Amino acid sequence: MTQNSHPVTDALFTELATVAGLNPLASLQREDTGVTVFATDIPQISRVMRFANEHRLPVRVQGANTSRSEYGADVLVLRMERLNALKEHVWQDMTCTVDAGMPWNSMQAQLKQHGQFVALDPLRPDTATVGGVLATNDSGALRVKYGALRDLVIGVTLVLTDGTIAKSGGKVVKNVAGYDLNKLLIGSFGSLAVIAEVTFRLHSLPRSVETVSIVSANPTSLGKLLLEVSGSQLSLQSMQLRAVSTGFSLDICLSTLPEVLQLQKAELARMAAAHGLSAQEAAHDVWSAREAQFTTAGETGVAVKAAMLPSAIARFADFVRSLGGSSVTQAGGLMTAGFSRITPEAIANFRDELESAGGSLTILQQSSRAAEPMRGTSSRLLPVMQRIKRQFDPNNILDPAGFLEGL
Amino acid sequence: MLTEAIMAELREAVGADGLIRDQSQLQTYDCDGLLAFRSMPDAVVLPRSTEQTQCVISICARHKIPFVGRGAGTGLSGGATASEGGVVIAFSRMNQILKVDLPNQRVTVQPGVINAHVSQKVAPMGYFYAPDPSSQSVCTIGGNIAENAGGAHCLKYGFTTTHVLAMTVVLPTGEVVHLGSETLDAVGYDVAGVFIGSEGTLGVATEITLRIMRKPQTVQVLLAAFDTIEAAGQTVSDIIAEGILPAAMEIMDKLSIQAAEASVHPNYPDCEALLLIEVDGPTAEVEFHMARVREMCRGNGAWEDRLAQSDTERMLVWKGRKAAFAAAGRLAPNYIVQDGVIPRTKLPEILERIGAMSAAVGLRVSNVFHAGDGNLHPIVLYDAKIPGQEEVAVDLSTRILEVCVDLGGSITGEHGVGKEKQCAMGYMYSEPDLDTMLRVRSALDPDGIANPDKIFPRPRLCGEKTGPYTPHPLETAGIAEYF
Repeated sequence: MTQNSHPVTDALFTELATVAGLNPLASLQREDTGVTVFATDIPQISRVMRFANEHRLPVRVQGANTSRSEYGADVLVLRMERLNALKEHVWQDMTCTVDAGMPWNSMQAQLKQHGQFVALDPLRPDTATVGGVLATNDSGALRVKYGALRDLVIGVTLVLTDGTIAKSGGKVVKNVAGYDLNKLLIGSFGSLAVIAEVTFRLHSLPRSVETVSIVSANPTSLGKLLLEVSGSQLSLQSMQLRAVSTGFSLDICLSTLPEVLQLQKAELARMAAAHGLSAQEAAHDVWSAREAQFTTAGETGVAVKAAMLPSAIARFADFVRSLGGSSVTQAGGLMTAGFSRITPEAIANFRDELESAGGSLTILQQSSRAAEPMRGTSSRLLPVMQRIKRQFDPNNILDPAGFLEGL
Repeated sequence: MLTEAIMAELREAVGADGLIRDQSQLQTYDCDGLLAFRSMPDAVVLPRSTEQTQCVISICARHKIPFVGRGAGTGLSGGATASEGGVVIAFSRMNQILKVDLPNQRVTVQPGVINAHVSQKVAPMGYFYAPDPSSQSVCTIGGNIAENAGGAHCLKYGFTTTHVLAMTVVLPTGEVVHLGSETLDAVGYDVAGVFIGSEGTLGVATEITLRIMRKPQTVQVLLAAFDTIEAAGQTVSDIIAEGILPAAMEIMDKLSIQAAEASVHPNYPDCEALLLIEVDGPTAEVEFHMARVREMCRGNGAWEDRLAQSDTERMLVWKGRKAAFAAAGRLAPNYIVQDGVIPRTKLPEILERIGAMSAAVGLRVSNVFHAGDGNLHPIVLYDAKIPGQEEVAVDLSTRILEVCVDLGGSITGEHGVGKEKQCAMGYMYSEPDLDTMLRVRSALDPDGIANPDKIFPRPRLCGEKTGPYTPHPLETAGIAEYF
């Protein structure tokens, strides 16, 4: 549909306002391309979704809009930012329940009062919302120690397109009753259901941490050291291989008792020395290197996520450099790379190389002015995923542009 | 009943020596670790490969025959039992460790590989496979995937789902698909995440890539003796609040200590509540943390806090704990093991309520918990020969689960729902919750042939369940027995 053929007629707009139980001035905005609804509670989301489903209005759920740069033809934008409370923080049980529209760092600030946190470091945490982080399955370098969202989310309240409000999981960490739908929703880019509320398991904030950087022009020896540290007895919190002007830097964050930290730093220095390398104090901003890749990409470039085996990290970091890009890769094998200029052929080549090594490529950001959009890895599981999509959203109203070939 | 023509197709798929039809041989497969639910399959097939498994499931799909995958049959919820007229696919011949990739810390196995064999394989190189259900010396990785198996050490290391990277799966339609990937974050929906723990209702896994971990430098196990379970529980909360994450924290009550002593002689202190705490990691860190843990134990009134002195002693401590269920047989002729979960801080409350409920009906309940994550294993002891006692025991064990849900917990932490807890699912989840799960099932198993009649409550069945137990006419006539 084009922007001119406005499907939300006056009558539909009035009806939507009534259905949503909203004061249109406060919570409904009518724009050229459609209508924005500000979600205020879960029953209201249910009514709005049912209405949209009946009228076949394409819906996009929006957190803080930190993730995607362009969209398909959505008519109804469901904005979650007013659902932004920490509902419950049972600090003795180390769990919390939070509205999906809450900014990530606002949540963390409240949890910090009891020395706890959700052990994940997503991109742009000041603005990114809890629901948005879940929908995009974002994770940073802390994943090395604490795992990903699939390990941290223990419950989700979701709203289906037909208005069904359902709960998945619960409020306890250990729970195998029924299907684990949390995992299906994490990383589904809002294409299956609206994530309305999330329950996390929490961890204690680390008390003494220290980061060192080991810099070399040669990524191969750093790649070897990375594998050795992964298999060592050091109390690793995060580790990444990062492109720097003089070559590459292996950044290692240790988290242990103050008494033990010095011993482990000495051990790490010995391991580095065996490769003719030396450790130095890290710059303060090394753990925000993922954001820097988007700066590199800028408005006209490309930012990607690449998945690879840990043993291939050094090789691909070098490969990205040879393509004129920069990168940072956490030790589990997830790379964020930025290219200020790159041809579609070079991206395709990178994708093929990753796929033949058992990995994958996802385009995170690209210019909307490109003649032909760049393509990431597809999935051989697509037919199965499409069957799941049809069960959850038979009229294909959620995220109709599709994050992955029609999902 | 399977027709001769279908039997011939199955024989063609797995070979004559891979098909079991003989009644006496089929009996081996009529129940799992939960003896109360028995059901004889029409046939058992023993495939040797993904291709043979695919052939079998394609035959089932074509003729709409229910099937269920089976590992070692150690499950505790009746999940691996066949449906009427159904086929059991047993993976005992697919038991090879296919690949070990140490630099990337991955191992690829067939589903019939025994859990403990993975750790044994990589132990000489200094690695281990973390999930450790009590049955780990016999249970298989395929079964672990179906149940999302946990174990004492999942407090620190997570469950099976944390440690499975990729799977080859035969879907109930007969399609072979690859879920997950050897690298992190496979593209698209995390179908592997839903498959793991789906109790065989979405298909069977035929090849699995697991994550292995570096063995910790030092492991220490403390046995702390308390006069009350509340004091032991408080110690668990204090340790967590201190920011220490032990590898395991287990509480055993007096009854279960006595049973374990009689069974494997682990030399436990004779006390009301025994707290076992395992701390692992770099040596210097472990020593510091264990010193703090011992202070906290004494602060909460522990009158003995003894460290296991050697690997052998440590193994014996765990052997006693892992034998707790089987050892219950020494306390009473019959018992029911439950698997409820509560938020950790509700421990005193649930114990008080279990105590009151058990006193009210005059049955003993012994308690073993994974205290760190609030997973309780109350063991209801009874004598089935005393008329009416079994019904009282079943009712008590169901009501304990309902209290777990009332306190914000779950009906199962690691044993699965299976056939046993289908009705309790309706207590824990609302209709819309269950309907949403069933959408996944409809997508992957449109004909409902993969382990049907498990997990989800059937209104008719559960409707009948209310009220006092009434014996089946066959039972009254002496033709059948209710176990």
